[in-house]
Amino acid sequence: MEVKILSEKFEIENANLLKVAKEHGAYSTLDKLFSMEPVDVTEEVKKAGLRGRGGAGFPAGVKWGFLPKDTGKPTYLAVNSDESEPATFKDRYILVRDPHMLIEGIIICCWAIGCHDVYIYIRGEYTTQVKVLQAAIDEAYAAGYLGEKVAGQDFRIDVTVHRGAGAYVCGEETALLESIEGKKGQPRSKPPFPAVEGLYGCPTIINNVQTIASLPFIMTNGAEAYSVYGTEKSAGTHLFGISGHVEKPGMYELPLGLPLLEVLEKVAGGVWKGRKLKGVIPGGSSTPVLTAEEAKTVTLDYESMAEHGTMFGSGGIVVLDETVDVVKLVQNLIHFYHHESCGQCTPCREGLGWMKKIIGKLLEGEGTMADIELLRELCDNIEMKTVCVLSAACTMPVRSYLDKFRHEFEAYAKDRVNSAPANVELQRN
Amino acid sequence: MADMLKLFVNGEEVEVESGKNLIDAIGAVGIEIPHLCYHPALGADGNCRMCLVGIEDGRPPLVPACKTPAMEGMRVQLDTEKIKKIQRDVMELELINHPVDCPICDQAGECKLQDYYMEHDLQESRMRVAQVKKSKNLDFGCGVVHDQERCVLCGRCVRFTRQITGTGELGIVNRTDTARVNIFPGRPLNNRYALNVVDLCPVGAMTSRDFRFSQRVWFLKKDEGICHGCAKGCNIHIDHNREKYKDDVIYRYRARHNDLVNGYFICDEGRMSYKSENENRLTEATVKGDLVAVSEAVHTIRQELSEAKKPLILVSPNSSLEQQWAVKRLATLSGVECFGYSDAYIKEGDGDDYLIRDDKSANRKGLELIEIETSKQRFEEALAECDLLVNFDNDLFRFDANEEMKAVVAGKKVIAISTHANYLTDNGTVVLPVASYSEYGGCVVNEDGILQAFSPVVRKNEELIDVLEVTRMLGGDVSDSGQAWSGIRSAVPELAEVQPDLIPAEGLQLSVSEEAHVSA
Ligand code: SF4
Ligand code: SF4
Ligand code: SF4
Ligand code: FES
Repeated sequence: MEVKILSEKFEIENANLLKVAKEHGAYSTLDKLFSMEPVDVTEEVKKAGLRGRGGAGFPAGVKWGFLPKDTGKPTYLAVNSDESEPATFKDRYILVRDPHMLIEGIIICCWAIGCHDVYIYIRGEYTTQVKVLQAAIDEAYAAGYLGEKVAGQDFRIDVTVHRGAGAYVCGEETALLESIEGKKGQPRSKPPFPAVEGLYGCPTIINNVQTIASLPFIMTNGAEAYSVYGTEKSAGTHLFGISGHVEKPGMYELPLGLPLLEVLEKVAGGVWKGRKLKGVIPGGSSTPVLTAEEAKTVTLDYESMAEHGTMFGSGGIVVLDETVDVVKLVQNLIHFYHHESCGQCTPCREGLGWMKKIIGKLLEGEGTMADIELLRELCDNIEMKTVCVLSAACTMPVRSYLDKFRHEFEAYAKDRVNSAPANVELQRN
Repeated sequence: MADMLKLFVNGEEVEVESGKNLIDAIGAVGIEIPHLCYHPALGADGNCRMCLVGIEDGRPPLVPACKTPAMEGMRVQLDTEKIKKIQRDVMELELINHPVDCPICDQAGECKLQDYYMEHDLQESRMRVAQVKKSKNLDFGCGVVHDQERCVLCGRCVRFTRQITGTGELGIVNRTDTARVNIFPGRPLNNRYALNVVDLCPVGAMTSRDFRFSQRVWFLKKDEGICHGCAKGCNIHIDHNREKYKDDVIYRYRARHNDLVNGYFICDEGRMSYKSENENRLTEATVKGDLVAVSEAVHTIRQELSEAKKPLILVSPNSSLEQQWAVKRLATLSGVECFGYSDAYIKEGDGDDYLIRDDKSANRKGLELIEIETSKQRFEEALAECDLLVNFDNDLFRFDANEEMKAVVAGKKVIAISTHANYLTDNGTVVLPVASYSEYGGCVVNEDGILQAFSPVVRKNEELIDVLEVTRMLGGDVSDSGQAWSGIRSAVPELAEVQPDLIPAEGLQLSVSEEAHVSA
């Protein structure tokens, strides 16, 4: 089931070094690139059907097309490597194992959008990744792939690595820009959107590491070679980080569109210890949970996930076995999002804290059925009322657990009316 | 006149000004969209989420009105159950960690949170878990006291120090519900406009050490006035209260919006200048140090004036146009030279490029218009020769000790008609207390040539006599401001057309071209 497009060089020793990477084809596509018109590059990317791999899945080429023409201002590219979504660990593979693929992708994107200044915004905790990436960038400068004359062309590209200071919200496009600008990392209220007014008030494209790293393959092999993988609307491959209660957790590159259960069975070795599947978080902690039943019919692509009321997200799949205490999971989840809320807008700042206390109260055996109702209602009251989607990243999954595993919450409520199903033991801590 | 456009609010067509956001555009026709973080002087930030409205045109279901420009034909929904529920929901979240103890909050009575709760929420609290604990009574400097637990993190105060004063002393530290407005350690507020954050704060989180807990605001009478602290003439609210059996006391000045003069703000010194309306006031008339009735003091002044060989009249650059005119008329009729010399009101280099002016008088322009002599040299010459100085409230040595001139004055007979005690009243043969600017009405012209009118606000139990009235009693021919104005109109070409009753609320720009004058 696995394919090797992005991960082609992942197993090759020292592929992070320019010499090795070049032996395996890195930067071989640049002659072709510079012989093409920038618009044609964008067209090719559109044709390939490449969707943003940061989570939202917006078509990359279309996004580039939003850049206003002739503003007289520079265009910036910000590469989003602030990989902080719980359960998501795909980009770090690219950063460490094949950073030159990312740099080559950056060159392709820069040519397409007419950009000369690139910021790679990287998660602060990724210390090794920063070192390896920076070394690769230095090599690329020395070899003339970056700098004044990229690959001998009259085209300048400068790349700056900007390390985050450990805020999840800085993965949000506009918070990321604020952070690069040296301000407190908090999302901007939109409009204006970054393509029109982004970094330093200039048009800016923000793409995820994996999105950019997908470009060299598309350039080398053409849009069609890319879109043979995947489905009609979800083309190509994706790096799936599979974790949780499976036998073989890890990072796997798969074409989009495969049945989830089959992947779990055949690729990840099935639920560990022969236990039963309780549910699956499909694409990082912010995506609504799928029950074991739903997991049977869902496929790993944007459309199927949407049809099942959830989201494809970042490809960070978490398997939950039958022993998982959903209420504790939800507590963990709310705790995380509350902690990471930038605190600028009222519903998120105040609401997530309230939710956290309610779930805590429930777990302490002090909660009531009314508290569960309130928690459920708060999800609705907070969602989509905020500056950015961080609050929704909390309320959407929480709502899904409350709706799909309601009895487990009720089992904790002190005034429950025999609602605890036999198989759920009341756990208090 | 600004371009107008038509849009629909709750299905009703309304005409609003174009180029404004929905809050301002619709607000101008009397429909309020609740908002906490937006302030017209600071722009939209979009953080409070109180202003979410629906637009029926296929855009996202909810938009913040503060960030949405009014557009022709737009259909804005404010009264749908959905929007009302959102307002309730946001209010609820706003209040969960807020102390619900309005009765002991300084802002009660003029608090947006309180107002919105009454208008949009009215729900019982559902908060059954511990509230977030925050600090109280933090000294932020410049007389600003911050009470964190009431703060709604709207960021207005922070944006004020960044955008208006450019000093940036305030910031919001931390994230999530540990976010707090704070100063950098050891770097308190340090600018001359800092107390505006108290006005700006929609809740009781920013308080003025000077005012807090000194009055419940609903006991205050809130009237309009013009600051006399400098030649800018900022528009203010004069908040005062006359408690039973006590005198009418001013408790604070607050900035009053006027785009032509001061925008939304005032300086701290001007704000605190209310104190001089309460303190150090002259209240008793004296002749040679003995208490006398006002009529007797006036009688004595009359006598002194007629007996003096070479009297000299001095008038204040702070007096109203009407008063200055009346004094000038008195001088003319009595054949006495009239001066407005007042260099002592100027604090060289004290002004800035925002509101504060070097000239600490409110109506120096009035002296110019009415053509009262202000030159130092002429005044000194006249002073040297005179045997009687009749001073109408000119604080001759205000910021300038001028020992030489003091020595000259010491050798003269002085009549001090004054609001406050000063060197001249200390040395006056006759001292007559008069009303100060919060107690009379009139017009002043600021340094930028803007004519503004103000009305009497404060009524003392023992009312003090007005300068204009004093001139009348001394034999002047101006009996009231109407009469003053007919004189002013015929004498001053720039003011020939002015009807004091018709001066627009934002003032009248005098020194611009005819066209602009008409449209003002
Ligand atoms: S939703 Fe949360 S993270 Fe996003 S801007 Fe508002 S407070 Fe910040
Ligand atoms: S102190 Fe007042 S103005 Fe400042 S953020 Fe808090 S509520 Fe807003
Ligand atoms: S700037 Fe001048 S007029 Fe304005 S408040 Fe200050 S002192 Fe008064
Ligand atoms: S006023 Fe619009 S979000 Fe605060």
